[in-house]
Amino acid sequence: MKHLIDSKYVRLAVVIVLGGLAGFLFTAFHLAPPQDRSITITAHKYAYDPPVLQVNRGDRIHLHLVAQDVTHGFYLEGYNLEAKMRPENDTFWVRHPSQGGDFEEVDEVSFVASRPGKFRYRCSITCGYMHPFMQGELIVRPNHLFSTSVGLSMGLLLGMLLVFRPSSQGVKK
Amino acid sequence: MATAERILTEPVPQEIEKKPWRFDVFAHLPWLKGLVRMRSFQFLVILPNLFLFYLFLIAGFFGTPIGNRNIIIVFVWILWWFVLIAVMMPFGSRLWCTMCPLPFFGDWLQRRSVVGVRSGKSPGTLNKFFGLQKRWPKRLSNIWLQNFGFLFLATFSALLVTRPLVSAIVFGVLILLAAGMALVYRLRTFCNYICPISGFLSLYAMTSTVELRSADKEVCLKCTTKSCIRGSDKGWACPWNVYMGKLDRNNYCGLCFECVKSCPNDNISLYLRPFSTSDVALRGYDEVWKACIMLMLAFSYSIVLLGPWGWLKDWANISEKHNWGGFGMFAAGQALLALVIFPALFYLSIRLGKWYARADDVSTKELFLKYAYMLVPMGLLAWIAFSVPLIMVNGSYIVSVASDPLGWGMNLLGTAEFPWKPLWPQWVPFAQVPILLAGLYFGLRGLHKVGSQLFKDPTQLFRSMIPPAVLLLGVTVLFLKLFIG
Ligand code: SF4
Ligand code: SF4
Ligand code: SF4
Ligand SMILES: [Cu+2]
Repeated sequence: MKHLIDSKYVRLAVVIVLGGLAGFLFTAFHLAPPQDRSITITAHKYAYDPPVLQVNRGDRIHLHLVAQDVTHGFYLEGYNLEAKMRPENDTFWVRHPSQGGDFEEVDEVSFVASRPGKFRYRCSITCGYMHPFMQGELIVRPNHLFSTSVGLSMGLLLGMLLVFRPSSQGVKK
Repeated sequence: MATAERILTEPVPQEIEKKPWRFDVFAHLPWLKGLVRMRSFQFLVILPNLFLFYLFLIAGFFGTPIGNRNIIIVFVWILWWFVLIAVMMPFGSRLWCTMCPLPFFGDWLQRRSVVGVRSGKSPGTLNKFFGLQKRWPKRLSNIWLQNFGFLFLATFSALLVTRPLVSAIVFGVLILLAAGMALVYRLRTFCNYICPISGFLSLYAMTSTVELRSADKEVCLKCTTKSCIRGSDKGWACPWNVYMGKLDRNNYCGLCFECVKSCPNDNISLYLRPFSTSDVALRGYDEVWKACIMLMLAFSYSIVLLGPWGWLKDWANISEKHNWGGFGMFAAGQALLALVIFPALFYLSIRLGKWYARADDVSTKELFLKYAYMLVPMGLLAWIAFSVPLIMVNGSYIVSVASDPLGWGMNLLGTAEFPWKPLWPQWVPFAQVPILLAGLYFGLRGLHKVGSQLFKDPTQLFRSMIPPAVLLLGVTVLFLKLFIG
């Protein structure tokens, strides 16, 4: 049974972990001074404008939400934020879904982008055929998960090639 | 020294390598074997699905046109799809075909019986079948029609998965076609060559952790009745025209278990086996293109349906936005990607590997066919990664629609008002990463496995693998970028 824990699999694991680590380090020192960002997001069937928001961790985001054609929702994953907006209104309604409760009418909602990564905002009010696919992306840099996983996949390829490389074919018994 | 080195570096002999671990399920669970041997088994598992299917069609034709409030959309494209791709495909092979209601009426017309068997004589079998019993043209005996059919349907996927009526029409046409074809052609010609679902089921069933096989091929060799493929008074001739004595891949066995009933030598069993290890040979360009089409469709759906770009959704959403130019670009782009661009990239990687390995004794065609297996586990896992957010984000519709299947304001189970609530959506990327990495891992392993059957020289094997392996890494990173980047 000893050959099952062959050293080449140990090496594979090490290379994968190193790859992941390198990927993580690639974004680890991403330091951007936090800033305030005022962003207006316009919802229309079946997308948001802008479709992708790029911000830095620590930024304070001031969101103003507008609906262009019909009533739309805005459910931002990872940040416990849900809103709905009507086309004729300058204001919109927000709540924190984890606490349930009622929506509150506001003209701006702000939060600190404290969690890095990619988060989707989705329409939460059925607005037409393609409603289930209506979504936009908030990308909070540094995106550790992405860089780490790219590193992991490169490590996986390298490690597998190491396992498969001719000199290690069956020599180690 | 040199000789010892030589022996040790020689690849493992094929006989040893070709016998991966397998576990005889029927031997350990005799009641399961008894169950599938019951004549009524398949009818009993199809029946509930037939009932649901009927309900879905009614909902599609008469229920609300709003997809996420109609049971046909929510149950088929969220629930069924997820269970099919993430559970049945990797762990059950073509288990879906065991319970699929689509060919039910066709089988009934051919057999004039839902449970019993009729012995007699029909072309190629020892059962009495009804209908014209024609043979399907040889030219079309491949999965090209399924490839084009699936790609065609995929062009309208934005409509198919959001419009109850479109879904109902497509499924209605399929069930009629299956019945009609059963009257003209023998066995399950529809399943073998037409059903658009069948193509990817056959492809991804290769990876599955179960297989139905003859226990001992020697017994088959000596078997005079060949009841598995010819039928007997105990079971219908294999509807898929599969001969158990030669079966070595899951692709075209629809798991109907007729052969388990008919084999007089009790020589067929269900086995567990490791994931993506045993069936690693693609056997034709049709299958290679299927692998490319499926991988590229996962890619395209991830961009169009799950991406943030509204203009692309508008292009795909032709019946509402009427942008024919945009729709044309989308349709052409998707087809080009699946039929030309990606296969060309893959071909290039094969040529490059062949050149680098100085592999003059192996033909490009053989390398192209064999190495394409790497796209199979990668494709399946990319589809699973694509499907995770669908169920996690929109799974709550299953609860609400169960109470109000037609969107008419009913409240059968008291859950009609269940709110749309994504389930841990922020953790979805953390599930997608290991799934995609697993795709890369199994793809690379498959590559090495088929490679070692082609090359004796480990250096050649190693070199020939590198370009396709890098391509596979590129595919993985592309999906990572879309899902979490
Ligand atoms: S091939 Fe298609 S129609 Fe036939 S049983 Fe499978 S899914 Fe159903
Ligand atoms: S009937 Fe049984 S023993 Fe005969 S060929 Fe088929 S599987 Fe083998
Ligand atoms: S080999 Fe044929 S008869 Fe046996 S389970 Fe598969 S499809 Fe059915
Ligand atoms: Cu909306």
